[in-house]
Amino acid sequence: MGESILHTVTIICIVFISISIIILLYRVLKGPTNPDRAVALDTIGVNLMALCGLLAILLVTTKLNDVILLIGILLFIGTIAIAKFLEKGVIIDRNRN
Amino acid sequence: MKTNDLILRTTTALIAFILLAFSIYLFLAGHNAPGGGFIGGLMTAAAIILMYMTYGLDTMNKVIPLNFKLLVPIGLLIATLTGVGSFVFDQPFLSQTYTYVHLPILGDAELATAMLFDLGVYLTVIGITLTIILSIADDN
Amino acid sequence: MSNLAIIPIIIPLLCGIIAIFFHKYVKAVRLFSQVMSIINLGVVLWIGWLVLQNGTITLATGGWEAPYGIIIVADPLAMLLVITSNIIGTACVFYAQSSLSKKQEQFYFYTFYFLLISGVSGAFLTGDLFNLFVFYEVLLMASYGLIVLGGERIQLRESLKYVLLNLFSSMLFVTTIAYLYSVVGTINMAQIADRVQQVDQTGILTTIGMLLFFVFATKGAIFPLYYWLPKSYIVPNPVVSALFGALLTKVGIYSIIRTFSLIFVHETNITHDLFLWLAGFTMVFGAIGALSTNNVKLIIAYNIIPAVGFMLMGIGLLSQDGLAGSVYYLLHDMIIKAVLFLLIGALVYVAGTSDLTKMKGIIHHYPFLGWLFFLAALVLAGIPPFSGFIGKILLIQGGVEQGQIMLVVVGLGSSLLILLSMMRIFMRCFWGEKEELNGGLKPIRSFTWPAAFLLIFSVLLGVGAEWVYPYVEIIANDLLDPSIYIDSVLKE
Repeated sequence: MGESILHTVTIICIVFISISIIILLYRVLKGPTNPDRAVALDTIGVNLMALCGLLAILLVTTKLNDVILLIGILLFIGTIAIAKFLEKGVIIDRNRN
Repeated sequence: MKTNDLILRTTTALIAFILLAFSIYLFLAGHNAPGGGFIGGLMTAAAIILMYMTYGLDTMNKVIPLNFKLLVPIGLLIATLTGVGSFVFDQPFLSQTYTYVHLPILGDAELATAMLFDLGVYLTVIGITLTIILSIADDN
Repeated sequence: MSNLAIIPIIIPLLCGIIAIFFHKYVKAVRLFSQVMSIINLGVVLWIGWLVLQNGTITLATGGWEAPYGIIIVADPLAMLLVITSNIIGTACVFYAQSSLSKKQEQFYFYTFYFLLISGVSGAFLTGDLFNLFVFYEVLLMASYGLIVLGGERIQLRESLKYVLLNLFSSMLFVTTIAYLYSVVGTINMAQIADRVQQVDQTGILTTIGMLLFFVFATKGAIFPLYYWLPKSYIVPNPVVSALFGALLTKVGIYSIIRTFSLIFVHETNITHDLFLWLAGFTMVFGAIGALSTNNVKLIIAYNIIPAVGFMLMGIGLLSQDGLAGSVYYLLHDMIIKAVLFLLIGALVYVAGTSDLTKMKGIIHHYPFLGWLFFLAALVLAGIPPFSGFIGKILLIQGGVEQGQIMLVVVGLGSSLLILLSMMRIFMRCFWGEKEELNGGLKPIRSFTWPAAFLLIFSVLLGVGAEWVYPYVEIIANDLLDPSIYIDSVLKE
């Protein structure tokens, strides 16, 4: 009984997170300003991590844990790159000052 | 207004090392769990690029005075020679073997020749990724 | 089970990697490449000799036996083609030093060249469909590097088309392999052939076969998929054109020969009859294309296409003579196309233009180049006793046996058109009154002798047909009887 409730809840969560990713994609494409897009991309990443976690629950495996960490790291670097581009106009500058 | 990135600089010092440690973990997990040379190399490249973003080209070139282009042929050579190495033992090309060794602190560990192949992939991926990103980012 | 089978792939791969380390030192890398090419040619000849004497050599990489692992199969057909590729490659390396600028040589030309040879040899030798895709990618990656070498505007435009088209067909290739895997549950070519004979649903397999044919036809420039070829083959340097014209399309043809004699032979009335039609159209349109232009490079590039038609005809006939003709023609065409591209490169170099109407009387200044070209034209058109003639006579025999009189007539007609297009170059550019050249005489010995070296092989292939033909006959027999290939790979 408990097993099947967990299963159902996981499926429902996956469906809703997928929908939210689609809505976020709309924001990425439309997004009036670039900071909007940056935030939307960041949120897509967070949702992807959640999706991976839910998938790991569904498949009863721990092999996906590394993937979650990996998405998180790449997301972090990507967000920093976008933020730096918006702020300074370059991503890798010659000189620290 | 002069922008300042104090938070980024402070956290990078910490996070870059966590990333490097994670990349080494991924690299060693290789051959029979998720991970391996490719993703490990990608993580290392990500850590180095994070440092580049924070400290700038000039500083980083002083810290890592290394031509990343050179890593590509070195990695390819290691990977290919691992395959060719099996010729010496009269085994089919790309044959792999493994053994268990007892290390002083870490306990039992598996040592596989697949690791050497992965090392080649690891170096190649770092070389390629950094060459591509740095040549795109180079403004002049 | 022997590691010999993988050697033709490994040596160029290692050489290509090592060449990166000192790519800036032109003289060193040039010498290294020339020496290694000759060594590789020698090794390949030796392995080929062993295969022809003792039969197929197979290698299960990593010790994973067929059908689970990747199998490298050095059978007579594959080895003959690998030897031919290496002969062409060696000639091209010696040609490259004078044809390429120093900057182009520095920009990893030799690395790309070795990777190309490695990929081509791998595509010939592999016995695994997915691995075939991988080697296709290896040779395509190298060819992307070669086609933009120099980086002129027109090169970038044509290479963009070339890259997009090849990416698309590679994508289709992987998809098709996935389809095939879902039907037969394996990607080992021998086991696929084994299982295809047992599967009842031939409809889906024929569909998959046609998809696969589409992929190979795009690479092999068969009507109506040849449109991309002529222009993208003339933009790079002549030595690169020679490598492309000699090797790349032929890999596509080899793949068709392999898959459609081994795997998809269950509904020949659909697939192979279609090949005959396409072969006819390919011959006609290619020959017309060759006559439609005044650009000498473009004429040679168009001449690739009717030759592809001839080879496809042999596969469509699927008889002893037809297949022998196809294989013979394949060997002949690889060499002669390289010769022609190399000679045309020299011609354009001395004339300073590639326009047919602006050249005259070049043979007075460069008699050796002129007569080499004349000989090459005769070989290409199939004048007896040269190699083109023997390939064609076998194909015609096969065609007449099966009552394909129309196709035979079309083939002969297109041969005449090919001869006409070659003679047009010869009469307009080389013949005619002596005219002062602008720029004076240029030293072209380093251009002509690699071409002459290749032409010797081409002539030998024709005059020495008595020695070559028995092997080709054995190959055709092997192709006709899939069980020979299957047994040599899956033997217990």
